[in-house]
Amino acid sequence: MLNLGPIIFGLILGLLIGSQIKFKFGDNVFTLASLIIVFIAGIIVAWQSGNFPFYTDLQISTGFLSALIGIFAGNLIFARSK
Amino acid sequence: MSQNSIILKLVSLPISIILICLGIMTILGGHITPGGGFQGGAMIASGIILSIIVYGLGNSPLELSHTYIEVLESVGALGFIIFGLIGLLVGGFYLYNVGTDVLNIVPQYIQNIFHYPDVTNAGIIPYLNIFVGLKVFVGLTSIVIAFAGFKKLTEEGE
Repeated sequence: MLNLGPIIFGLILGLLIGSQIKFKFGDNVFTLASLIIVFIAGIIVAWQSGNFPFYTDLQISTGFLSALIGIFAGNLIFARSK
Repeated sequence: MSQNSIILKLVSLPISIILICLGIMTILGGHITPGGGFQGGAMIASGIILSIIVYGLGNSPLELSHTYIEVLESVGALGFIIFGLIGLLVGGFYLYNVGTDVLNIVPQYIQNIFHYPDVTNAGIIPYLNIFVGLKVFVGLTSIVIAFAGFKKLTEEGE
């Protein structure tokens, strides 16, 4: 059974924090390819976390995954420019 | 204050993002596993602190504005107090768990409003964890931003 709580609130918290991230700062630029690598690494971490915290739903940490999606979505939608 | 190592600059932002996600995961599992608002908030803050230390205060990819810190700190504190007052008004006790209602004194429609959507029937505990997590995350981050700012001011004065 899929629990909606971590998915909804993970997405909200991820959106909140993702709105403050910049991927172009100073001399450093994180390109789209590097962000895709970060996303894949995040999926691997979520997979290795197992079905935390409920132990009865999907074989992947839904809270972690929704937070990761929320951070990237928040950066796309609300990112601040400097 | 920033570090000059290219390797550090390459890996710090991805590690910060993973740390933030782990912190959010800890907050959301706080009602049934070890962890909770404080621990998760501290983990999120550690992600932001890592990027501030590596990239420097004025150049960090994860730098929180004054308004953002102010708003989240207030939302965290006010949310906790409001949930406590709802318990006081509806159930008769401060921070009474109106979502679970152990004493059977809360109407069913109020229970449905504060029910957290998972299998554990935890009531308002996950919401309180989220508010505490928000408050701790911005609180610890603002302390480090203030210390980094003081250090920068001292270095400029010398």
